[in-house]
Amino acid sequence: MSLSKRQRARVIRGVQYGVLVLAVVVFALVADWHQLRMAFFDVEVAKALFPDIITTALVNTVLYTLLGFGFGLALGLVLALMRLSSVPPYRWIAVTYIEFFRGIPCLLVFIALGFGVPLAFEVALDMNVTVMLSLGLVGAAYMAETIRAGIQAVPKGQTEAARSLGMSHGRAMVSIVIPQAFRIVLPPLTNELILLTKDSSLVYLLGLSLTQFELANFGRDALNEHKSLTPILIAGLLYLVITLPLGQLVRRLEARTAKAR
Amino acid sequence: MSARSALPVIAVAAAVAVLSGCSSTTSGGKKGSGGLELVSSGTLKTCTHLPYAPFQVKKDGKVVGFDVDLVDLVAKDLGVKQEIVNTPFEGIETGQDFTIRTCDLAAAGMTITPERDKVMDFSDPYFNATQALLTKKGKPFKKVEDLKGKKLGYQKATTGGIYAKKHGKGVELVEFEDLGLLLTAVKSGQVDAGINDNGVLFDYVKQNPDTAVTAEFNTGEHYGIGVRTGNDALRKKINAAIKKAKSDGTYDRIYKKWFGTTPQS
Repeated sequence: MSLSKRQRARVIRGVQYGVLVLAVVVFALVADWHQLRMAFFDVEVAKALFPDIITTALVNTVLYTLLGFGFGLALGLVLALMRLSSVPPYRWIAVTYIEFFRGIPCLLVFIALGFGVPLAFEVALDMNVTVMLSLGLVGAAYMAETIRAGIQAVPKGQTEAARSLGMSHGRAMVSIVIPQAFRIVLPPLTNELILLTKDSSLVYLLGLSLTQFELANFGRDALNEHKSLTPILIAGLLYLVITLPLGQLVRRLEARTAKAR
Repeated sequence: MSARSALPVIAVAAAVAVLSGCSSTTSGGKKGSGGLELVSSGTLKTCTHLPYAPFQVKKDGKVVGFDVDLVDLVAKDLGVKQEIVNTPFEGIETGQDFTIRTCDLAAAGMTITPERDKVMDFSDPYFNATQALLTKKGKPFKKVEDLKGKKLGYQKATTGGIYAKKHGKGVELVEFEDLGLLLTAVKSGQVDAGINDNGVLFDYVKQNPDTAVTAEFNTGEHYGIGVRTGNDALRKKINAAIKKAKSDGTYDRIYKKWFGTTPQS
């Protein structure tokens, strides 16, 4: 067969499309739609979930995430500054912290704080505090690195100019460098917020009372109650309700920083 | 099984036949013909949710326990080996694990309830269970009502949870994903008490003398082994094994091995 290069490319692409279409058709024919619909899209079950899935579960997911994020951001900033410090022990502490908390699963942190602390000191922390610390400790490790990169990305000239105006090093950091750094790291920080949103489901480990249920736990609980997978699907979709706008926000911010340059 | 729910099964069977490229004539797939079909031939797959001592517990890299020994009798009768599949309890309880063919049967210290009976078929009862209350030693809680204003922990999707919800007016109920977390929460004081089946709680108290079982609620519960709805061939085999074990003393021997006493009844 003598096909020109372009013809051959077209044939190959045609075959690829064909395979794709065939796969979709086979899937559509083979899948048991009745079963799937019964399991995932049971309207009656879905109705029963509202409004609690919004007023309790969604609200709690957002609450846990924000608590963790807020604490993590504050700690992350401190760690980033420590990491950039000229005092060696500060740097060592920061590096050790970051490597440790970035390296262990968030799950372990939840267990350590939720069960380890009460066993060790015989005080049970408030649930919200435990969540804030657990998510925050892990989030801080990631955010510290992001913020550090942001600080380092601010041109040296900015510090030099500030110093030549008579500002102290700390003053220059706070008023000149950090505000600019945050502008740079806003998009990656929002990514971290999205990650924390999903990690917040780990709170189930601590044991939840009805008013403390978050989305994942709510979905799984309703799964048991209704013997249907519909609640899981809806809970999953509600995560999108939180994360999709955040993703949109990241893109907007990215576009804005690009323009500002 | 109703005619309506039989349709999808046929559809799936047909789909599988299409997918597997007509490798063989469809000899299997028919139920109730007396032929026993296992999810994977040569092994009897048991769904359970670990840990649930002394019914199922990991020891030296193997899952052992009362349920395990009992199902081993069934496996022996069938001439196959038992393989334990650890899966979340909700997957067992909702019948999903049977639907997606994770295992042949579920032996998970599971109480026979009308709700569960709808999504699976149960063997004859093989164990009498009651709910019990676990607290730190020296606590005065004798019944669920005593816990008003206090925290009571239960395990997700268990009958203990249902009991607690029914009787626990004014009690702050806290849900835990599995037994281990629930027990630790009682021990660490996160909750004032925990409710679960007596067998497991007594086993825990033996190893944790700073905790105590303060009450038992006779809820008239019986454990059963679950199989996929309509899998009568396997269900009959299980019933036969339980019956035989009870009559020839094997059941008492296994019971003594795991609970240290002989069953009263």
